[in-house]
Amino acid sequence: MKLSTKSRYALEGMLYLAIFGNEKLLSIKELSAGIQVSAAYLEQIFFSLKKAELVSTVRGSKGGFVLNEDQDEITVGKIIRAMEGNMVPVECIHSLSACKSKVRSNCVSRNVWIRISSAISDTADKLTLRELKERYIAENGGEAHENLD
Amino acid sequence: MKISTKGRYGLRALIDLAMNSTEGCASLSGISLRQDLSLNYLESIFASLKRAGIVIGIAGAQGGYVLAKPTSEITLRDIMTVLEGDMSVYDNLGEKTEIRSFLNRNVWDVIDRGVDEVLTGTTLEDVLKDIEARHTSADCSEL
Repeated sequence: MKLSTKSRYALEGMLYLAIFGNEKLLSIKELSAGIQVSAAYLEQIFFSLKKAELVSTVRGSKGGFVLNEDQDEITVGKIIRAMEGNMVPVECIHSLSACKSKVRSNCVSRNVWIRISSAISDTADKLTLRELKERYIAENGGEAHENLD
Repeated sequence: MKISTKGRYGLRALIDLAMNSTEGCASLSGISLRQDLSLNYLESIFASLKRAGIVIGIAGAQGGYVLAKPTSEITLRDIMTVLEGDMSVYDNLGEKTEIRSFLNRNVWDVIDRGVDEVLTGTTLEDVLKDIEARHTSADCSEL
């Protein structure tokens, strides 16, 4: 039951942007140096984040990415859903018609998947970028240092 | 972030076995019919469940499988560990950066703990009671 690296790098990139993207806009190159993920891969990931309207781009020589919503509004759950399409461990939770079984209307296991899915979203939909950023800065003694290559 | 076919079919089959082996054993062909699952696939799933000590195979013409323990002593965690292996939502990619190790501790491990609480806190008996309760309420709503 693994998340894709896309989702994990997306959260890393978004958190990096929340922490270091206030003073100046960050480019793919800077984000790539910051979280140590290849620029080509990160470009695909930020393309998806942009499509999901979680970030937007500002053009120009000082251009780069900005968060689209308030940091209180962007949750881990939103980022995972933007990357994976949904956040459910079994498709039937999202839509019963995704199940092709003849017995789907009397499924004996669906409730178990619903419970596991709720456990995941209970955590993921509560954690915001603001909270993570503040905790990160607190853990690093009140300051955070940008990774510059 | 998906449960594999083995995990999905296996749990369904095992719940079916628990429901249908209260008086004697249940045959894989019966489970196959009731759950619309292929017999071949069930044979391989039950081989794993048997090796893990969750079910016992009974040989003979009237043979089949029974649970190795009472339903109150089999947790979802016991079952999913056999069917899925590790249930963590992430693989260790190496903690190359501060941010990655921070997120492992503050996000992914927290999600894993939440899932694990459900898995260790739910027994097969709980699952069966839940199914029964839903049947009862469905029956009543037809009155």
